[in-house]
Amino acid sequence: MLIDLQALRRVYHMGGSEVVALDELDLQIPAGEFVTIMGPSGSGKSTLMHLLGCLDRPTAGRYVLDGVEVQALQDLELSRLRNQKVGFVFQSFNLIAQLSVSENVQLPLVYAGVRPPERRRRAQELLDAVGLCQRQAHRPNELSGGERQRVAIARALANRPKLLLADEPTGNLDSKTGLGIMKLFEELHQDGTTLVLVTHDPGVAEWSDRVVRMLDGRVESDTSVRLREAGASSGEWREVG
Amino acid sequence: MMRIGVKNLFLHKLRTALTMLGVIFGVGAVIAMLSIGEGARRQAVEQIRLLGTNNIRIHHVELGGEAAAAADYRYSPGLTAGDEKMLRAKLPTLCALSAIRFLDVSVQRAGHEPAGVVVVGVNDEYDDLTNSRTRRGRFISWLDARYARRVCVLGAEIARDLFGVQDALDRRVRIGEEEFLVVGVMERKSVATGGVLEMRNINRDVYIPVAAALKRFTDPDFPDRVDEIAVQVSDAASVVPSSRVIDRILEKSHRGVHDYEIVIPDELLAQSQRTQRIFNIVMGSIAALSLLVGGIGIMNIMLASVTERTREIGIRRAIGASERDILGQFLNETLLIALAGGLIGIVLGAGMAFAIHLFASWETVVSPVAVLVSFGISASVGVIFGLYPARQAAQKDPIEALRYE
Repeated sequence: MLIDLQALRRVYHMGGSEVVALDELDLQIPAGEFVTIMGPSGSGKSTLMHLLGCLDRPTAGRYVLDGVEVQALQDLELSRLRNQKVGFVFQSFNLIAQLSVSENVQLPLVYAGVRPPERRRRAQELLDAVGLCQRQAHRPNELSGGERQRVAIARALANRPKLLLADEPTGNLDSKTGLGIMKLFEELHQDGTTLVLVTHDPGVAEWSDRVVRMLDGRVESDTSVRLREAGASSGEWREVG
Repeated sequence: MMRIGVKNLFLHKLRTALTMLGVIFGVGAVIAMLSIGEGARRQAVEQIRLLGTNNIRIHHVELGGEAAAAADYRYSPGLTAGDEKMLRAKLPTLCALSAIRFLDVSVQRAGHEPAGVVVVGVNDEYDDLTNSRTRRGRFISWLDARYARRVCVLGAEIARDLFGVQDALDRRVRIGEEEFLVVGVMERKSVATGGVLEMRNINRDVYIPVAAALKRFTDPDFPDRVDEIAVQVSDAASVVPSSRVIDRILEKSHRGVHDYEIVIPDELLAQSQRTQRIFNIVMGSIAALSLLVGGIGIMNIMLASVTERTREIGIRRAIGASERDILGQFLNETLLIALAGGLIGIVLGAGMAFAIHLFASWETVVSPVAVLVSFGISASVGVIFGLYPARQAAQKDPIEALRYE
């Protein structure tokens, strides 16, 4: 298992009252799987994403990421883990406006302590892979939404993470551009990257192997999808098991 | 990391420049203060060296009005060559002693008369007293002094003015109406002008035996009068006690008339350094205040910058920056501002020091130590006032920061 969550709790304190965002959540994700997480807002999807991405620590319970007990780590080790094993893709791209495309992609490598020439070489490769090799020197605000998301994906992949987390990656894109991004994710999945994707869009969910539905901080349903193997292309999806 | 810092600073040129201002003025004041202090110190040391160390100077004081009448009444003739002889007899432990008589007479050779010459009557111990040496020939000898010989020793500049590149030794010059034989030429001495002790350019001195000065250029009213008696004692500790003894002896022989004044150059310098200290405190306070204001300015801007860049902090954290990385990034930027301000301040301070040198003709020296100290101060300001904003940045919750609009 790449991800193993056991009885995971996350409680927020807001002005005296407690908000239980995650309530004794159990979830296992094997390496190489493409999982979609769905659910209404307030169901704990974002909290789960932040915990999976090592941006946050659980109040109680156990989280093992690639053999590392995450709940016990201090900031420095947590940051290192985030840097090495996790890549984030956000709905609003979250590129740094002052830096060029190439510099944005290099940023995780900066924190990983990679030397500048190697950094530039890797950024070039990554941008080639997402089809943006001529855009390296541009600023993010000179790119279209789809291009920005490709840069963000290149950045997320910079340290060859085992886990790629995406929070509504197509939410700010038109459907055609979104399709391109999903194809990119599909390629990454084929290459063996574990993908966890949060979305409201059932059309996005149909690309994945497995759909986890959440409600009130718990897993409501957990279904495997066998869409592409079945050769269906209608957009309808069939649940198995 | 560094490049990102530099980039951010260039992005807000005006803001950065304004932020630096306090540090610039603070460091400028520090540099100006230190360079004035260092200049004054060097000048003092230089003057001490010229006057000779462990010196006591007894000046003749011209009395006026009632005091003059009282002096007449008590038959005090002012400072005389006799005082020198008496001090020598009563205080055999003194290292060196010389009566000094300044003459206002012309010096010429073959009709050429250089300006700004001071003819000084001294005895054979004067060169030891003032740490001076002859470059050619010899100084006034005991025999010259004893027999009031018409010999002279030329200061370096005067020798050049009168003889050019020729050798002045054993040639004659005309002093007043008399012919004097040149027996020596002094080494050139660097002369610090201005400062606490008014110094004449001793390279334009012409030395003759004091006895000759008194005999050939007699002041009919005061035939034995000298202007100064210079005394050298063996070590610094005995300067003040010796001066007291001398005072007592002279008071007695002058019958209580204070027509003389005892000056200790070392004391004068100590005094001037005390004055310097007050100046240093004032300048130091200005510098400290300016640096404090500058530091607060930097902190203020950095706090604003941290808030402005909350989202960026969130992104960096998500990508793998630790709290320490973020702290380092913002501390780096503050340090950069402070050091750049410090650098400009050093240039400004050096400029101020130069301007002071030009307009107030104080000697100023921008020493490497002062530059290092200033750099240290700017770095400290950067760290001290950068730490709080940088901590604020580092301690931001990454998730909150990512949501920040």
